[in-house]
Amino acid sequence: MSAFDLIAGVLLVASALAAVTLKNAVHAGLALVGNFLVLAMVYFALEAQFLGWIQIIVYAGAVMVLFLFVIMLLYDAKADVGVDRLRWMRPVGAALAAVFFLALAYAFSGVGPVNPLADVKLAGGLPGPLGKLLYGLWLYIVLLIAVLLFVATVSAVVLVQPQTRKARVKPQVSERDRELEEVGK
Amino acid sequence: MLLLLIILLPLAGFVYLGLAGKHLREPLPGIIASALTGASFLLVVALSLGGGAAWEIKDWLPGIPFSLVLDPLSSYMGLVVTGIGFLIHVYAIGYMHGDEGFSRFFAYLNLFIAMMMTLVLAGSYPVMFIGWEGVGLASFLLIGFWYTEKKNADSARKAFIVNRIGDLGFLLGMALLYSLFGTLSIAELREALEASHVLPLSLGLAGFLLFVGAVGKSAQVPLMVWLPDAMAGPTPVSALIHAATMVTAGVYLIARSSFLYVNLQDVSYFIAVIGILTAAYGALSALGQWDIKKIVAYSTISQLGYMFMAVGVGAYWIALFHVMTHAFYKALLFLASGSVIHALGGEQDVRKMGGLKKYLPRTHLHGLAGALSLAGFPLLAGFWSKDAIITATLNYPFGGTGFYIAGLSVAFLTAIYAMRWYALVFLGEYKGDAHPHEAPPVMTIPNDILALGAVFAGFLALPKPFWNLIEPYLAPALAHVEVHHMSLGLEWGLITLSAVVALAGLYLGYLAFTRWALPKWYLTFQTWSENAFYVDLAYNAVIVTPLKELAYIWSLLDGALDTFYVYVAGVSGWLGERLTRVQTGYVRAYGALMVFGLVAMLVWGVLR
Amino acid sequence: MSYYLLLSALLFAIGLYGVLSRRTAILIFMSIELMLNAANLALVAFARGSGNLEGQAMALVVIALAAAEVAVGLGIIVAVFRARSSTSVDDLAELRG
Repeated sequence: MSAFDLIAGVLLVASALAAVTLKNAVHAGLALVGNFLVLAMVYFALEAQFLGWIQIIVYAGAVMVLFLFVIMLLYDAKADVGVDRLRWMRPVGAALAAVFFLALAYAFSGVGPVNPLADVKLAGGLPGPLGKLLYGLWLYIVLLIAVLLFVATVSAVVLVQPQTRKARVKPQVSERDRELEEVGK
Repeated sequence: MLLLLIILLPLAGFVYLGLAGKHLREPLPGIIASALTGASFLLVVALSLGGGAAWEIKDWLPGIPFSLVLDPLSSYMGLVVTGIGFLIHVYAIGYMHGDEGFSRFFAYLNLFIAMMMTLVLAGSYPVMFIGWEGVGLASFLLIGFWYTEKKNADSARKAFIVNRIGDLGFLLGMALLYSLFGTLSIAELREALEASHVLPLSLGLAGFLLFVGAVGKSAQVPLMVWLPDAMAGPTPVSALIHAATMVTAGVYLIARSSFLYVNLQDVSYFIAVIGILTAAYGALSALGQWDIKKIVAYSTISQLGYMFMAVGVGAYWIALFHVMTHAFYKALLFLASGSVIHALGGEQDVRKMGGLKKYLPRTHLHGLAGALSLAGFPLLAGFWSKDAIITATLNYPFGGTGFYIAGLSVAFLTAIYAMRWYALVFLGEYKGDAHPHEAPPVMTIPNDILALGAVFAGFLALPKPFWNLIEPYLAPALAHVEVHHMSLGLEWGLITLSAVVALAGLYLGYLAFTRWALPKWYLTFQTWSENAFYVDLAYNAVIVTPLKELAYIWSLLDGALDTFYVYVAGVSGWLGERLTRVQTGYVRAYGALMVFGLVAMLVWGVLR
Repeated sequence: MSYYLLLSALLFAIGLYGVLSRRTAILIFMSIELMLNAANLALVAFARGSGNLEGQAMALVVIALAAAEVAVGLGIIVAVFRARSSTSVDDLAELRG
């Protein structure tokens, strides 16, 4: 275990904790970006260069920008304010997460490298070998992922389409109030 | 196809009047219904003159064709049904005048005619069964026609339920026949029976079961209790269904199956015994009735008994001869009673009648013709047919003389009660307080025709050496029975004897019910007879009440069971209500549960 | 390598905690992303441990999947926000017993 591993581990855990605890949504998002960037470094260290770049470009770049964009759009920066109606959820969630971690850690404790580390030949996880694998043996999976992305794009567009017809999804609460009013009359 | 039309015409009338009758003005439904029945009658006449017809759907049920046959027997019966039916339809136009259910009444009547013709024309037992059930339904609907009164509705149900016992017999008999011969076509059964030399043992049972069906439909002992109550229906119904046609369906069934019964001596003997018992019971009960229609109703039971005695002793054509003459004079008696009731504004008690000869001259003639024909006054229709039956019993090898004497005694009683009916209604002084008025022509003209029939129909089949048109006509459709003819002298002697008996009965009745003060023993008898010998009471005590008690016990058990299930339902309802609390609606709570499950599985998997 | 596996498990647990404790839909979503990344870390670590590229290929597929999921998920959040003027999942509690 090198110093890099230690520092990366501390940063990862710290940024992750920040991402799930910070009250300000923008801050939480930035912490998550930091987490993703450190993770990209770890990928480099683990001989997964292509994946690391993808992590930076797609995750830290595109996806998180999307997140921040939506946060801004919905004026939702001050998140998790007001009374928590499920106050017990915090300790319960923490306990469940702890048990989960312990169980998983117990399971992982016995796992060692299949091949001695010296023999490992991942070729640095460069796009060439990875591409051969993806467009060879994994071709159908790649195709399916392509279809999935396409469908997701279309559905996202449909979901956020401005309601041109009479609004189908109305605030149900106000609807109910209006009905009650009508009955009251 | 024309054959099918005989059934379809009245059926169309039923559908049309049932659906649209309410919008038609008063006489119109009656005219339509009568016209359709009349058309059916003409069709039967035309097809009979054309030498019969047959029609069938090959694969109606697997192995059972839907077949209609117009042979001499069914055309004879069909003529009676549609002919008398037509006259009664016409009469009902007047009788039902002003009734709320005018069109409904004629819809039902047409349904009855359609179903009766199905029964008559049926070429196989299942088809006959359709008609059999159909006339039962029509009878039920018409008895309970004025259903707003509980008594009428009860009578309708009683008729239906009692008939059901008989129908079950019919059904079982059919099933047995099918299992024995693999066919239910009457013609094929006949061939199979005539071809086989050894008869299956259970054939007797099959014949007996079919006879049970006939007993129910024709109100024979012991299932006769529904017929007097059936008089709750309007009088034309009593005339058409419960006198002239439907109740003779049992006789028709036996005659149709004559090829079967001719081979079943023991069952036939049983039929004859039931017949004479019924005849005696009906006649004795008729003597004590005070309701003008009930007298005639019990007389119907009695006359049906004669018919069954006739088929029992193997005189099939004579039974059918009596069916025809009986249809005439009994329909006439009922319709005359109807005219009387109509004239007195609904009064049915004969003690409040009398002297109507003066007020209702035309109806008086009808009543006289009907009563005399029923009594067997010499040369009238009833005389010839009844005498033929009584004489035929003498040829019966198993106790024929006994049957003869019993039959003759019942004929004597018949004459007495016929005269009693006539005397109480038409003779003496009027004791009621209504203002009798003669019926309109639409009612009297059908009665005129029926009266002609009641007087002259007997001349269709006279004893030797005169002509007999019916026996040779029906012969091809009936089983052949060897009869050794008695000498002419003996036969005419017997005819004279029965004429004397009938005249004596009439005279005695005349004296007893107009002149004499009745003796004490007669009054006791009168009470018994009035209550029809308490058969209803006995049935109630032996069958109905225990069944009701049993039903009550079951209902208690049922209630306990219900309570149990209500509690079970309550518990699960309560549990469900508790469990809905789990559904808080908070996604996070569901997520927590999901994670809990995941963690639990993980822990279990790791520690395993 | 078991170090990185442990790290991945820890990150996953943190994400799990975030999913349960957060009330805003977007933040829950971010926690889910965290969990996905933790899984990816495990996959990469396995790839490294076994010297087989397939783990990395799988991680790549997961990233693509996450991208699709983000598109749809954020679309739903926006649609819900339009209807409800809220992104708190606790406000969506009509379907209860």
